[in-house]
Amino acid sequence: MGERKVTVAAEVGLHARPAATFVQRAKLAPMDITVAKTHGGGPVNGKSILAIMALDVRQGESVVISAEGEGADEVLDELAKIASTP
Amino acid sequence: MTTVLAPMEGTAVGLAAVPDPVFSAGMVGPGTAIDPLRGPGKAVAPIAGKIMKLHPHAYVIVGDDGKGVLVHLGIDTVQLKGAGFQLLAAEGDRVSAGQPVVAWDPSAIEAGGRSPVCPVVALDALSEELTGVAEGAVHVGDELFRWG
Repeated sequence: MGERKVTVAAEVGLHARPAATFVQRAKLAPMDITVAKTHGGGPVNGKSILAIMALDVRQGESVVISAEGEGADEVLDELAKIASTP
Repeated sequence: MTTVLAPMEGTAVGLAAVPDPVFSAGMVGPGTAIDPLRGPGKAVAPIAGKIMKLHPHAYVIVGDDGKGVLVHLGIDTVQLKGAGFQLLAAEGDRVSAGQPVVAWDPSAIEAGGRSPVCPVVALDALSEELTGVAEGAVHVGDELFRWG
């Protein structure tokens, strides 16, 4: 299972624009994507905007994004970049 | 099927009219937007359910079937950090459709240089799942669209 641990940098956390951008990219991936907080919460479906909002990741909190299968590394790199963009 | 009610009085203008690409491009989900009646008012729950997320400027209600509806009060209003909004309910509360959630004044938002237009979005829905999307004048509690 591939995974990336990233710290969410956006002031609004993983909500609003960062959340929408993240889910939009995740939906394009053929495999399941999950997101969990490193300090409790999840894993939740990374393709669901409702699940991501409910996870309620704040600025400065870390998440682990997981995916497996062909192309997972590329998807994870892109999702990690979105989640860590201020 | 979920019937989503207008959370405030105004004019249903469609998401394409929202001056924020996150909403106008449907990135958050399908739905519509209401250009609200100016003046002090109360934004209500568009469906019955639990308040999953409550910010001063936005809230998400999740129904018993797991469907979530986002109401966003104005654009870029997160920047106001709650100023001008009064919470009338609490996160985690169960609310009935039409129950007041946040008191606010769209004209104050507009006076501050922001758009007071309110996206009402069916989270994780496909646009073809929505029918009967209202256009034009709506009163609070009017049917705004049907989902499912």
